[in-house]
Amino acid sequence: MDFKVKRKSTKTPATGNQFELYPHDLQLYKIPPVENITLQEFETLALERVNLLRTLSTATTLRGLRLNSEEFVEFVLNDLRAQGLKYYAKLCEKSGCGSTKADFEARRKDHIAHFILRLAYCRTEELRRWFIARELELFKMRFAVMRGEAVEVFFKLNNLCYTTISEDEKNEVIQNLIESTPYSKIDNMKFYKVKFFEVLDLVKARKVFLNDGYAYIPHRDFISVLAAQYRTHLKQNLAKACHHLCEIEQDERLVCLLKGLHQSYSGNDYSETKAVIPIESLDSISTKSFPLCMRQLHEQLRIAHHLKHGGRLQYGLFLKGIGVTLEDSLRFWREEFIKIMDLDKFEKQYAYNVRYNYGKEGSKRNYSPFSCLKIINTNVGPGDCHGCPFRHCDTGVLKNKLIGYGFSHQVVSDIVELSKKTHFQIACSKYFDAIHNADVGLGINHPNQFFEESQKILKGELKVQPKKENLVKKDIVDSIDAMDFDEPLE
Amino acid sequence: MIGEHNENILSDMLPTYYARQFPQNIFCRWLACGSSPQPLCNRELSFTLADDVYLRYLSISHQKDLQTLLQKKCPHKLDVGAVYNTKPSVGRHDAVVISRELVFDIDLTDYDEIRTCCQEARVCEKCWKFMVIACEIIDKALKDDFGFQSILWVFSGRRGIHCWVSDYEARTLDSPGRGAIADYLCLIVGGENQSKKVHLGNENLHSSIRRALNIIDKYFEQLLQDQEFLATDKLNSFLKLIPDDALKSQVETTLKKMQEPSLNKWNTFINIYENYCRENGNVIRKIKYLIEEIKIQYCYPRLDVNVTKGFNHLLKSPFSIHPKTGKVSVVFKSANAKNLKIDEIPTIYSLLDDSVAENNQHETNMKAAVKIFQELVFALEKTEAMRKRSDANTSLDF
Ligand code: SF4
Ligand SMILES: [Zn+2]
Repeated sequence: MDFKVKRKSTKTPATGNQFELYPHDLQLYKIPPVENITLQEFETLALERVNLLRTLSTATTLRGLRLNSEEFVEFVLNDLRAQGLKYYAKLCEKSGCGSTKADFEARRKDHIAHFILRLAYCRTEELRRWFIARELELFKMRFAVMRGEAVEVFFKLNNLCYTTISEDEKNEVIQNLIESTPYSKIDNMKFYKVKFFEVLDLVKARKVFLNDGYAYIPHRDFISVLAAQYRTHLKQNLAKACHHLCEIEQDERLVCLLKGLHQSYSGNDYSETKAVIPIESLDSISTKSFPLCMRQLHEQLRIAHHLKHGGRLQYGLFLKGIGVTLEDSLRFWREEFIKIMDLDKFEKQYAYNVRYNYGKEGSKRNYSPFSCLKIINTNVGPGDCHGCPFRHCDTGVLKNKLIGYGFSHQVVSDIVELSKKTHFQIACSKYFDAIHNADVGLGINHPNQFFEESQKILKGELKVQPKKENLVKKDIVDSIDAMDFDEPLE
Repeated sequence: MIGEHNENILSDMLPTYYARQFPQNIFCRWLACGSSPQPLCNRELSFTLADDVYLRYLSISHQKDLQTLLQKKCPHKLDVGAVYNTKPSVGRHDAVVISRELVFDIDLTDYDEIRTCCQEARVCEKCWKFMVIACEIIDKALKDDFGFQSILWVFSGRRGIHCWVSDYEARTLDSPGRGAIADYLCLIVGGENQSKKVHLGNENLHSSIRRALNIIDKYFEQLLQDQEFLATDKLNSFLKLIPDDALKSQVETTLKKMQEPSLNKWNTFINIYENYCRENGNVIRKIKYLIEEIKIQYCYPRLDVNVTKGFNHLLKSPFSIHPKTGKVSVVFKSANAKNLKIDEIPTIYSLLDDSVAENNQHETNMKAAVKIFQELVFALEKTEAMRKRSDANTSLDF
């Protein structure tokens, strides 16, 4: 990457070669920009793109909108416009190959800003992952809004030549294509044959016909192939960028700017804690301040003296996040596990994992506790007790559990109803209110946030209205869709 | 009869087993081939010794090393790990995993919520059928869907089976790739707190699911008889699989009045279901594939997906001895899984003691297993040589 940042402002020349540089709204960012820009513009472009990516992240991870669904597109466009990011709104609304001055300018900014963020986000694995996920969402969104002719131009410009299979070959497998491709009217679709590992997202979701190592995809699934290539390209280049970071590290202001970018919004990731929580208090604290997912794991561990891998990971990281030290953690797990196994076996098979969670083994990363979204979307299999109980429990089981905790009928049925409607985090918020006997209406997006908010209330740092009886009525349930889950309430 | 299994005498017998019975040569060739283009010495082996000492990051350069190492350490458990960019003992934490066979681990303990004949570590001929079905379904998918050829099936030594795919494409697959394959093959999801674990929606069934169902159908009635899934004391968990309340109560009333066996109850259930669908066309969306879902929940392979997704999960080596049972982790052909009888599997005792009655039979079985292993390795070596040649050709073009 080759940035020259000037301190003095110069006008960007509107030259004729912009057409060659930026013929299409959608880019694969193969070539870094070479022009000189001012520090001022550098900063503006960077911040604007962080905001763009942040909008995407809000839409998918906090609001749980399905990528490219109508609500998703609407939310993103409105949010971008509200922030005054018109050129991004334009690029996200349609991808074409227009040639007005505004078109070129938008593409130029898009191009430069993307490369600036590569520098800002290449430093750590965690940042890289966040960045790649967002850029991919952006790419997929923009690919999806691209229309007929623009698609062809895009393929041609990027030398993407794939050939479709012959009618004969298609007819041979037509029955399978009908069964295994999630679209109707297969008959007049053209199909491509690519290696299965080029479309892993389709394989994973079982949405493509596979035969002998090849995936048969219709044109509209081509985005999977491109997204996979784009992901690889980004991954490699972020790794490279990381190596070259030192070259720009001489400019201090630039360094500060790049380092500060992500923090400028991301807030707490709960991988650092302040207070220490003694393990002796876990039994009582788990009923007062734990979200249900963790309370359930705690109970299971006490009953069975064992948790399967997924449970150990989810609960172990949570404990770390609330302030249980590594030494305490080891002691805590050991005391339970050795009720059903030799100390030796524990030390050999399980202690490693505990230390691993604390970044003391293996890749030595400081792992963050899981967010609700991650927990809700996790896989749970036979014998597993982790996951989010509002999502991963049968209605009857959930109901009995809550009744067993002594909640009123009304509360129990409210929570169960919300879970049924897949409003898991809102159900969790109700649970929060129920154990604190208050109406906080907290937006919950992280178990550790749940814990911290609860502690604040218990320690009296946060005053809450004690609950007025009979307040739980239908209208609350209905208005909940409008609740804002953007930020944890402080 | 073979005497009781005794962990203490293992230490005396293992050196002889490793020297005389363990197919060292072919094992090394399999490992080497599955490590290329990295050298054999970049492959991690791990040993668990008699006193449970666990040695990781071991490696060998050729068969002679293996022989010495086995004699010197006499491992009670022998595991195979990943291939690194350097000798694993040198690199330790800095070593990078380059490749690894794509592996699957299917264990009968994951069937505890449905099998009725045994629990936990026990296994009998009846529940072994779950493994037969699992093997057939996974094997077919790996071959037909993913185009893999070098697929090794191994008895885990106690109550499960392992599968190693050595095709180059499989070995070099990254973790998202492994994850995608695992998810593609995994139909049973949901934890302790969810009864119904299979949801097929109401669109067309994917070809791979149809194929799996055809396989299941070959065994379903037999399993139903063996396991009595619908026996009176199991009926409640069966009813929980029916998401439609009206249908559920109809089924409940009728089946509660019926006598065993489950097969009759099952057929009655199908009748009720079909009538119900005919009469209530509008509710059919939710229960369109109910029969299929139930069959899958009762019969479909329950994979330990973490083993498949993880790149460097250590897995028990073929032909090693299971320390708890003394049984050999024999290799078998997928087509032959149904003929594999648990008590015909050679044990270290039956092989080394020619006074036991099974000695002859077990020796023959051991030889047959080694032969299957050999054939697979020969084929793998051939493909690998061809791949190298064509790689050399393409690189000349540049
Ligand atoms: S919503 Fe989040 S905090 Fe609440 S139970 Fe589910 S995963 Fe846990
Ligand atoms: Zn059994």
